[in-house]
Amino acid sequence: MRDQRLVNLRRRLIPYFLLGPGILWLILFFVVPMYFMGRLSLDTGIFPEFRFNWQFSNYTDALSAYDTQFFRAFRYSAIATIIGLLIAYPLAYAIAFRGGKWKNAMLLAVIAPFFTTYLIRTLAWETILSDNGFVVNTLQSVGLISEDGRVLATSGAVIAGLTYNFLPFMILPIYASLERLDTSLVEAAKDLYSSSRQAFLRVTLPLSMPGVVAGTLLTFIPATGDYINAQFLGGAQQAMIGNVIQSLYLKQTDYPAAAAISFTLMAAMLLIVFIYIRIAGSEALMGEEVEERT
Amino acid sequence: MEAATATLPKRRESAGSRAWKWFKHNAIVIYGGLAIAYMLVPIVLIVVFSFNDPAGKFNFTWQGFTLDHWAHPFEISELTDALLLSLRLALLATVISTALGTMIALALVRYDFFGRRASNYLIVVPTATPEVVLGASLLSMFLIYGLSLGFTTLLIAHVMFCISFVVIVVRSRLIGFDRSLEEAAQDLGADPFTTFRKITLPLIWPGIIAGAMLAFALSIDDFVVSNFTAGTEVTFPLYIFGAAQRGIPVQVYIIATMLFSVTLLAMIFTVLQQRRADKLASVRPEQEV
Amino acid sequence: MEPRPLRKRANRQQHDNEEGLEVRLTKRAKALGLGVVALGAAVALAACGGGNGIEGGGGSEAVQTVKYQPPPQGDLTISNWPLYIDKNTVSNFDKATGVNTKYIEDVNDNQEFFAKMQPLLSKGQSGGRSIIVVTDWMAEKMHDLGYVQDLDKAGIPNVEANLRDNLQHPTFDPDRKYSVPWQSGMTGLIVNTKLAPNVHSINDLFDPQYKGKVEMLTELRDTVPLVMKADGIDPNKATEQQWLDTIDKLKSAVASGQIRRFTGNDYTRDMANGDVAAIIGWSGDAVQLQADNPDIEFRMPTEGCILWSDNMEIPVGAPNPTAAEAFMNYVYDPKNQATIAAYNSYVTPVDGVQEVFKTTNPDLVNDPLIFPTDQFTAKCSNQPNLTGQEEQTVTRAFEGVLNS
Repeated sequence: MRDQRLVNLRRRLIPYFLLGPGILWLILFFVVPMYFMGRLSLDTGIFPEFRFNWQFSNYTDALSAYDTQFFRAFRYSAIATIIGLLIAYPLAYAIAFRGGKWKNAMLLAVIAPFFTTYLIRTLAWETILSDNGFVVNTLQSVGLISEDGRVLATSGAVIAGLTYNFLPFMILPIYASLERLDTSLVEAAKDLYSSSRQAFLRVTLPLSMPGVVAGTLLTFIPATGDYINAQFLGGAQQAMIGNVIQSLYLKQTDYPAAAAISFTLMAAMLLIVFIYIRIAGSEALMGEEVEERT
Repeated sequence: MEAATATLPKRRESAGSRAWKWFKHNAIVIYGGLAIAYMLVPIVLIVVFSFNDPAGKFNFTWQGFTLDHWAHPFEISELTDALLLSLRLALLATVISTALGTMIALALVRYDFFGRRASNYLIVVPTATPEVVLGASLLSMFLIYGLSLGFTTLLIAHVMFCISFVVIVVRSRLIGFDRSLEEAAQDLGADPFTTFRKITLPLIWPGIIAGAMLAFALSIDDFVVSNFTAGTEVTFPLYIFGAAQRGIPVQVYIIATMLFSVTLLAMIFTVLQQRRADKLASVRPEQEV
Repeated sequence: MEPRPLRKRANRQQHDNEEGLEVRLTKRAKALGLGVVALGAAVALAACGGGNGIEGGGGSEAVQTVKYQPPPQGDLTISNWPLYIDKNTVSNFDKATGVNTKYIEDVNDNQEFFAKMQPLLSKGQSGGRSIIVVTDWMAEKMHDLGYVQDLDKAGIPNVEANLRDNLQHPTFDPDRKYSVPWQSGMTGLIVNTKLAPNVHSINDLFDPQYKGKVEMLTELRDTVPLVMKADGIDPNKATEQQWLDTIDKLKSAVASGQIRRFTGNDYTRDMANGDVAAIIGWSGDAVQLQADNPDIEFRMPTEGCILWSDNMEIPVGAPNPTAAEAFMNYVYDPKNQATIAAYNSYVTPVDGVQEVFKTTNPDLVNDPLIFPTDQFTAKCSNQPNLTGQEEQTVTRAFEGVLNS
């Protein structure tokens, strides 16, 4: 009996041993820094001397000064996510169901651009979209923009950049979800006299929702805090909240204000994610499923 | 694959309606092709500009084709140093985060224990945090402690954000895993460690590799978190950021093209490996969702 | 395999679940206790942080002074702005002295460089650098914080001999104790003569016909003083309110779409592409842009430019101050300075270069950008500085405009 309990004890401790180092790393270098950021956000003073002072006014100051940039970031990010979804879903569908033996090649074509550096891709877009370049000239001759209009330094360019840069994050989860789909379910629906469209709407789409949820989150969240696209593709009026945070930390060295805004951003994101997951269902995303099989 | 329907008498279809039918049937593939083309547009530009021959110091406008720069891709020592730093960092970060992440994935998928839910949340939350906040919070901690920013702080940061992604990838691989093979081995007298080493590990290896590759890609491409935690070290993306202000040398485009090609080849290789592994593993009993 | 082993396993699982409840409860209590302890540790850890960091409060000690100990040797790392030196000077210096120099161009913006270096400098380290090059006002700021060393004049006789008169006694470092000018420059107008032939004053940049084709610098102490001068205000005598009012004027220009964006050195890309017609920019860049587009030129604004210098300094914790001073001395030899000046077209701080040009670069002898006459810069002002609370208020307002 004692041996059995020893074995049981060991078996119960195994997960903690496996979990330990990684979770410890995350606690030390993710959770604890959040605490420090929170503390920094309540400091006062002028660089280089800051003191802890329960300065909650940092938050109200920051929010009133930078509300435009906050909302702009959410707006751009939401639009980029929606457009990304519209591009990614059909593409993922095409690869999953019509790809055949080209499936993996197409996936590679989708992921490979991801391997040139983020900055270079954005800079390439800056060259492509330049005022006297091919794209702008075409758009002008077609009449989509005015003669002296431009694409760079507008919100359109920033949104386009955001959409592009996060497409792989949208495509892959949706693809994974669709690929796992049991096509016999769709066939069953068709056997029951549903049209292709109905089969899609009632069977395929709902079953791919976990992928859609994952993809939209993986796009919306980083896009909101992004500042590269705004910096290179945008102008003075396209600054997002990420630009503000970068400026406060790395240019103005106004750390309390910077920390206050960062904290607010993160709180907002967590709230949005929480609500979204509640609505959209979380099991697959959170991996709540333990193995059912025995 | 086609569901059985009652056959209707065949009518002569006009060429027009046949074309429309073809279009409707293939619309999604056409759309997919266009989407992929769109994704490759900047890549084409990068590759093309790597052959540019600019007169001045800036590489903004196309001025002429040359292979000169390809002959000396590592001419600029700052750039090469930055690239080497990024590679070293990515390698270390990948090894550490893959090891830690795989262990976490194993624990989360196979065991039910107190703190499982909390751990699940803890893994997911960093992916739900904008990079700018991750970098900023780490910087805050380092500043308050007065720590020197540099390679160590970079490594800490990179491992931190890679772990979650490795867990997610390996976990999805583990969930589809057939335990009966392991049970068979144990029934044949193997202890847990040998079972793990000889049965489990080889079979989940593709998942671990996928997680590792993702971690590597994330690390080598990372800009925002590095910008906050690098101090005076310069990684490859950080170099480009600085260079973007003064004129990006052609060598940067060349290296970007190289990175792209190398990783493309690596992925092709993995996919071929995957095919082979799947063929071998197909001795498994049929999966049921 | 038969089903029997599987059932056995299933039984064991069930068995665990029943027996497990009790064990789990005590386990839970233990885990909870552990959790509390861990949390307490974390809090304690957090609480005692802050000794050396920014919350510890900076105390400045006495200023360090360099001890020049010839002969120069070993490794030397220099941090400078980009595109400021020709290809050969560094290797020539290495050949002449036997020093092994690493020249990195990682200063893109004074503030960003400062924010990056500050955590190191506050602990007396320089990250391996023995020379850093920053603009006047940042040189002053770093000195006031105790981040740079005083120089040993014994190591830089060329500087003593050849530094131009009008740079010998600046207000922020009257005896040139800690700074040696690398290059001087003028901030003014850079125009594309085809797209904006009639731009001669900073106020022309606000002309609606150039809407969306105008850019200004992210450098607060260049952009705002120039705009102030165009409105008749002396930037070195301006009040805080005048700074803020000028910043408001910029804010409206941004809101109306007049100003496309604010840039650092990256205005070069937009100018080269023809995306902008006229900008506020730095004199030397105009010449370097002409290689890409011959229509580009530097124009002295009618109300004058802003004069500044980028200065070489030796930071605290510099590993090789002797070699650093040797380098400073080397570039103050007119022969060596001439190649640098010919390359970057900025204002050279060294006397005697004109003489050298007579034989090496005769076409540059009367170049107003390298050797501006007093007449050329008659209306120019020195770059002003802000400190303390005023600096924070004005900087915040300006950055707010940059990130509108």
